[in-house]
Amino acid sequence: METTIEYGGDARECLQAARQRMRQVKRLLSKPSMEAADESAALLRDVEVQLGCVAAILRQNGSKPDQEFRSGVEELQDEVAVLARYFAEADKMFSGWLLAVRSRRGGYTNRGQAAPLVLVKKLSVEG
Amino acid sequence: MGSLFTALTSAGQSLLAFEQAMDVTENNVTNANSPGYADQLPQMLSQPFQTGTGLAGGVKEVTQDTRDSYADTAVQQQLSLQGMYQQLQTTLAPLQNVFDVSSSSPIPSALNQLFQSFSQWSTQPNNANYQTAVIDAAQQTATAFQQAAVQLGQIQTDATNDIQTTVTQINQDAAAVQSYNESMAQNSTPNAGLSAQLESTLENLSSLANVTVIPGNGGMVTVLLGGQTPLVEGTQVNAVSAGNDTASNAGNPGAAPNISIFDSNGNDITSQITSGSLAGLLNARNTLLPSLIGGGQQVGGLNTLAQGLADTINNALAQGTTSSAPPYQAGSPLFTYNSSSPAGIASTLAVSSTITGSQLAAASAGPPYTANGEALTLAGLDSSTPGPLDGQGFTQYFGSLVSAVGNAVNNANTGVTAQTALVAQAKSLQQQVSGVSLDEEAIRLVQLQSSYDAVGKVVTEINDTLTSLMNMIPT
Repeated sequence: METTIEYGGDARECLQAARQRMRQVKRLLSKPSMEAADESAALLRDVEVQLGCVAAILRQNGSKPDQEFRSGVEELQDEVAVLARYFAEADKMFSGWLLAVRSRRGGYTNRGQAAPLVLVKKLSVEG
Repeated sequence: MGSLFTALTSAGQSLLAFEQAMDVTENNVTNANSPGYADQLPQMLSQPFQTGTGLAGGVKEVTQDTRDSYADTAVQQQLSLQGMYQQLQTTLAPLQNVFDVSSSSPIPSALNQLFQSFSQWSTQPNNANYQTAVIDAAQQTATAFQQAAVQLGQIQTDATNDIQTTVTQINQDAAAVQSYNESMAQNSTPNAGLSAQLESTLENLSSLANVTVIPGNGGMVTVLLGGQTPLVEGTQVNAVSAGNDTASNAGNPGAAPNISIFDSNGNDITSQITSGSLAGLLNARNTLLPSLIGGGQQVGGLNTLAQGLADTINNALAQGTTSSAPPYQAGSPLFTYNSSSPAGIASTLAVSSTITGSQLAAASAGPPYTANGEALTLAGLDSSTPGPLDGQGFTQYFGSLVSAVGNAVNNANTGVTAQTALVAQAKSLQQQVSGVSLDEEAIRLVQLQSSYDAVGKVVTEINDTLTSLMNMIPT
């Protein structure tokens, strides 16, 4: 059955903007740096805002079946799933790596765990 | 989207490699793009005073490999996960052709045709053309099941062959590591070329299976498969093999047995293989495919559907009658299958060779007698509530199989995209940390982890918002 286009241009534009930001985030995260992470966080906040707009518009105007719009949201959901998996695995990777650095730097505790990481700034005194 | 992401990542990697190559020595410039190459740094070490020979202490130049073994391990782990998801994606892709809900797909199309033919027959139970249409549609349905079973069998055979090929590749890589160890045993001086070759081999090995690499004396490495089974120990290779797990199909002797991986002593080490393409293949071959086509421990969704369909229709026909007055003659079964092999029901589903249109029982003896009672029951079987198969209609049950396959494929696709980015991430970090101090490395990791943690939380919030949005849009 042919579905009717119900949502106004604004909701579509918000969704489009959210997807565009998501693409930028994926591009940024291809290289690990704190700057990229910070910029990604800002972009993702904007994605949230855009999706909030979509929700507000839907609440105000009501909604009818719209397969195209639904597909757009589903595609965004898939991209979010990829990002969620990415962050979960990145967390594991960093944790494991950090554990290795801790044990290599400070050895092991009496309980056989990697030594806690104590990083202090080096002080050099002259004169 | 995935390919764009990958392409950009590769471009970024190349730029990074080029940038780094500008600043190093000629040797490093030459080798910057060689797989597994790590920069070599000259390091001055004090020579111990030899009391026996009376040599002075002094200094000696030793070339030090800046490779960070932890960074290498992280890359190998990510490659291993990437290998698993890529393999799952490749192995499961053909399943989507078999399990497709579109109306042009053989099984849903045949089921639709079959129930439409029952409906048409119920309007004129004695119409010979309508009776023939029922038998033709049943034939079409049986053929669709047989073809699906053949296709699944082929996918299963391909997976078995791929497991053998992967195991051969693992043994070949193990032999290459052994050859490296032999070279190191003869001359333990670090060699950048050999080291790069080793790293490249280990990365390839990691994409095939989860391996642990332990640096040993004299530059040699020990490689453990699954963290426990020694694959390479010094100059010795303990080759692994793949074979049938004959005990796995005790429940269904007709089903294909699972494939197991054995160490050089014949011990089953399948459970130790948790990532790499071998893990992906084992998962598809021993878990996902048996859930559809059957295995030692299960009948398989396709066989359950075929049996459920045949039994339900045959029972309905047996309850009906071909006579219009007592004594009532029960109808003949429409479908047959080989019940002695539960995992082979779909492949043996057929229309009874002896059935004729007049033997189809459309009437219900009642009381009261209804001329088209059973035909009507058959026409409504697929849409009845609750359905005849685990509470579901046949098309709905097929839909649940499609959904399970779709989820597995989707999960593999998500995994590939995420892991491709993570491999790039680990490789990028591997290049950045080569030669930096442990403190710098630790600080960078802590900062990155907390930044990523913050971004990850936003992603979770977005996911929640999207779920609410989906609920707001009616289907």
